[in-house]
Amino acid sequence: MKKSERYYGAFGGQFVSESLMNVLDELDKAFEEAIHEEAFLKQYDYYMKQYVGRETPLYFAENLSRAYGTKIYLKREDLNHTGAHKINNVIGQILLARRMGKRKVIAETGAGQHGVATATGAALFGMECTVFMGEEDMKRQELNVFRMEMLGAQVICVKSGSRTLKDATNEAIRTWAKTAEDTFYVIGSAVGPYPYPKIVKEFQSVISRESKKQILQMEGRLPDVAMACVGGGSNSIGMFADFIHDASVKLIGVEAAGHGIASGKHASAMALGKPGTLHGMRSYLLQDDDGNIQVAYSISAGLDYPGVGPEHAYLRDSGRAEYVSVTDVEAMDALQELCRLEGIIPAIESAHAIAYAKKQAIKMKEDEIMIVCLSGRGDKDVHTVAEYRSQQQCEASGIQAATVM
Amino acid sequence: MENRIEQKMQELKGRGEKAFITYMTAGLPDMEGCRELIFAQEQAGVDVLELGIPFSDPVADGSVIQNASYKSIQLGTNLPKVFTMMREIRAEGVEIPIVFMMYYNTALHFGLERFVEECIIGGVDGLIIPDLPLEEQDDLKKALKQEGAPILLELVSPVSAGRIPKILEGARGFVYCVSGMGVTGQSGNFHREILHYLSEVKQVSQIPVMMGFGIEQAKDVASVKDVIDGAIVGSHFIRVLEANDYRPQAAAEYCSTFKRELNLL
Repeated sequence: MKKSERYYGAFGGQFVSESLMNVLDELDKAFEEAIHEEAFLKQYDYYMKQYVGRETPLYFAENLSRAYGTKIYLKREDLNHTGAHKINNVIGQILLARRMGKRKVIAETGAGQHGVATATGAALFGMECTVFMGEEDMKRQELNVFRMEMLGAQVICVKSGSRTLKDATNEAIRTWAKTAEDTFYVIGSAVGPYPYPKIVKEFQSVISRESKKQILQMEGRLPDVAMACVGGGSNSIGMFADFIHDASVKLIGVEAAGHGIASGKHASAMALGKPGTLHGMRSYLLQDDDGNIQVAYSISAGLDYPGVGPEHAYLRDSGRAEYVSVTDVEAMDALQELCRLEGIIPAIESAHAIAYAKKQAIKMKEDEIMIVCLSGRGDKDVHTVAEYRSQQQCEASGIQAATVM
Repeated sequence: MENRIEQKMQELKGRGEKAFITYMTAGLPDMEGCRELIFAQEQAGVDVLELGIPFSDPVADGSVIQNASYKSIQLGTNLPKVFTMMREIRAEGVEIPIVFMMYYNTALHFGLERFVEECIIGGVDGLIIPDLPLEEQDDLKKALKQEGAPILLELVSPVSAGRIPKILEGARGFVYCVSGMGVTGQSGNFHREILHYLSEVKQVSQIPVMMGFGIEQAKDVASVKDVIDGAIVGSHFIRVLEANDYRPQAAAEYCSTFKRELNLL
């Protein structure tokens, strides 16, 4: 494989142990063969339609549009089976795994959505499934742990390092290196060694393919802005994919700023990260002075990843896409606003994109069009929201008490 | 000046001896203790010493080395401190070949040119970078094209198969054969095709063949002794150090026993 194929500009590559190099090569060949074969694509489309419930609506959010002052369409990935966009990629990868004769799958998960999707796909196709999840995330996303177990997956609690997605990914890579001969690693985000970023993009690009068709039907023209939240970057690369060559469409990725970029407690690899290597790829990463990877923070378990997919790093450096960030508070306000205005409870991840939609709308005219990827539903987050609100109330009454005195 | 690893390999070949190579995490129990352990191992007859540069996300390592790395980072170990120690021990006359076992990001972040310069000044003889396969080595190899630069040692695995000749082309020092799939420290878990695979490497290799991963005692490699030129012990050596409070004497005893038994197999 030539270097230019494995890289997106200066990003990407295959920074893995020697024992995985042949595995990646096999994977790439199998993938290229599959996606150029009509029978495989037909099978994928069949499951997307009949099992996942695609196509998902491109919903004109009238109330939100009125409130924010521009036309906002929501790509309803939250309406997919299992509640998020993750299933698009999982079904694709599991079909690929079957084709390659693998009977076992492993996955890493942060918020648990990818874990649930993988457990779901494994149940559907009768495969043995193991999901690695950080101890911290297991606490934050108890409901998803329970769902995975109901679906027959084994959830391994990862207690090393930061005990979140980064370390769950480390553990998944270690296990994969050990078992690659009979096990397929289903990577959930647009990260990892080549060809994973390419594979994830291919299976998530259904988001923008549908969106483009739908907006052309409804509006007769392309959108002015396409926007999505970015953790590792799977729903965003899916939202961007089919618009990358439409220069008139502004692409915006929204990272998590946690308590604010200046606080140091954030997950914005693009804002302050420096290129480095982790999880098999060269990309922007949050690092300390010694090149150790820093712990990312966000109220959203699905966004607190210290890196970002290599194609995003390339889209940023080439200027094709813009990357911004919003704080916990802004995201939680947007979440609440979407509930009230549209009757939709979004995942906290997706609420980051809604929060920036509000800011972006100010720069837009009333008849301009913005598509926002609503990557997942918020059921899994109700505990976090409840906790956040009671904390807010405590702080508010504390301030009141202080004022009275 | 000839590279210390290559020099050592020549000596061992001349004596018909197998090499014993250890791995320890730099900065444990602390910088001073680490230095004492290096002296002790040189005295005990260790042929090459791998010094693990701790990294936050050691994906090629099992729990023993992960924990050691974590502990060492907590103690403040970093590349500049290890380079300082290297310069000091070389000035004190330590001549044992020393290899940095590290993850690529640590060198990348430090700056490859500057990293190589520091290696030359500190007398680092080799590098093992488990997340830098052949296809990604160009940048580093370019930086290593300097007089006195360390050798980038190559790793092969039981499933490298057709890649072996390509990896060995131009390889120097010794080739590090991983005994099984997976990570460091899975004892007694050699790959089912281990003998076949090592023989294959031995046949095409112009340089000595060392086996590592999952080795505890010399007798563990008895079944493959005819196709390897030495053994590498990492996780188990760290366990020995931990069990003995990092006493140099205990390290020396373990090493001299292993080295003796290895050459009696």
